[in-house]
Amino acid sequence: MALQIINAGPPPEEIAEQIRQAIAQRLPDATIEVRAEAPGHFAISVTDAIFGGLSRVAQQQRVYGAIAELMAGPNPPVHAIDRLECRVP
Amino acid sequence: MALEEAVKQEITELITANEVVLFMKGNRQAPQCGFSATVVGILDSMLPDYQTVDVLSAPHIRDGIKIFSSWPTVPQLYVKGEFVGGCDIIQEMFGTGEIYKTLGVEPIEVVQPSVEISAAAVTALEQAAAQHSGEGRELHLSVDATFQSNLSIGPRTPADVEALTSGVLILLDPISASRADGITIDVADTPNGQAFKVDNPNAPQVQTMTVGELKAAIDANEIVELLDVRTPEERAIAAIPGSVLLNEEEAARIEALPRDTKLILHCHHGGRAQQAAEQFISLGFTRVFNVTGGIDAWSQEIDPDTPRY
Repeated sequence: MALQIINAGPPPEEIAEQIRQAIAQRLPDATIEVRAEAPGHFAISVTDAIFGGLSRVAQQQRVYGAIAELMAGPNPPVHAIDRLECRVP
Repeated sequence: MALEEAVKQEITELITANEVVLFMKGNRQAPQCGFSATVVGILDSMLPDYQTVDVLSAPHIRDGIKIFSSWPTVPQLYVKGEFVGGCDIIQEMFGTGEIYKTLGVEPIEVVQPSVEISAAAVTALEQAAAQHSGEGRELHLSVDATFQSNLSIGPRTPADVEALTSGVLILLDPISASRADGITIDVADTPNGQAFKVDNPNAPQVQTMTVGELKAAIDANEIVELLDVRTPEERAIAAIPGSVLLNEEEAARIEALPRDTKLILHCHHGGRAQQAAEQFISLGFTRVFNVTGGIDAWSQEIDPDTPRY
């Protein structure tokens, strides 16, 4: 059986904070919640007036675009966003 | 992370040169992940032709498309140069019927499949539905690409098709409906209690091939995959020219092939090859042949120089 090697990265709370900051930088007026679900997996909720009139895909693209850097590369700190909610206040 | 100009240009060319482009893992014939396979199944039901880009064989596209679309996962569908969405969104749009407008195609004409349900199965289905709590107690039947059936209970979606049955309402998604005509549902006793037994006449079957047909195919150079499922010891005694031993390595190679690849299997007399052929059918292969009589028939009818044992 192959051994799975788990590389311990920074603690999930720290990565969650990086995600929050990355989104805040792109959407300065947004209310942002980020929760670590499992190692590398996060749930995000963003509320911003800017989402008004945008399709669901376009809303999510704003958020994914902001955190692309954290999800890129061969072993990124963020593996998956299990849930992404975009809301208009 | 910035997107390299060259990669950006390559992606732009791909999505402008083709009306419908799916960035996916694997290709249309052999998707390499479940999400990609789902989207291919949906698109195949509506479009005769569309472009796919295999990101597994192009790592720069795999990374690039995520930044290009501001979307972290693959598959990704582009229509007329516009990003449409990933697997969840495509499924949702297929459920609501919105996808037809996006693709500019007429909704597929769905024929209502006939489904025959035994009296015992009707009772069992009604009981199952009655026990289900929550919204939407409709019975759904789905048939996947390998013709495995699944029964479930849930709310109706706009694209659902009603089966022609004697009384019980059964709903199918349009792709399942196209694979379901003539299905029979019965109940059977299993070691774990009563279970539904679904027979689908549309499921691909193992086909037979005589040694004469095999010889003709070999002579015409039509043999793509001739697989010997016997042991290496038996193979040392006698082998059909052009055949390969189906060992683990070989099986892994076959499993990655397009599902419409013609597979011809043989053993000593036909029994083991039949079992192996059924395995390949269950993996979704649609053209699987068992050589009737195996290598023994080959020795007797085609080539007396092939030793019998």
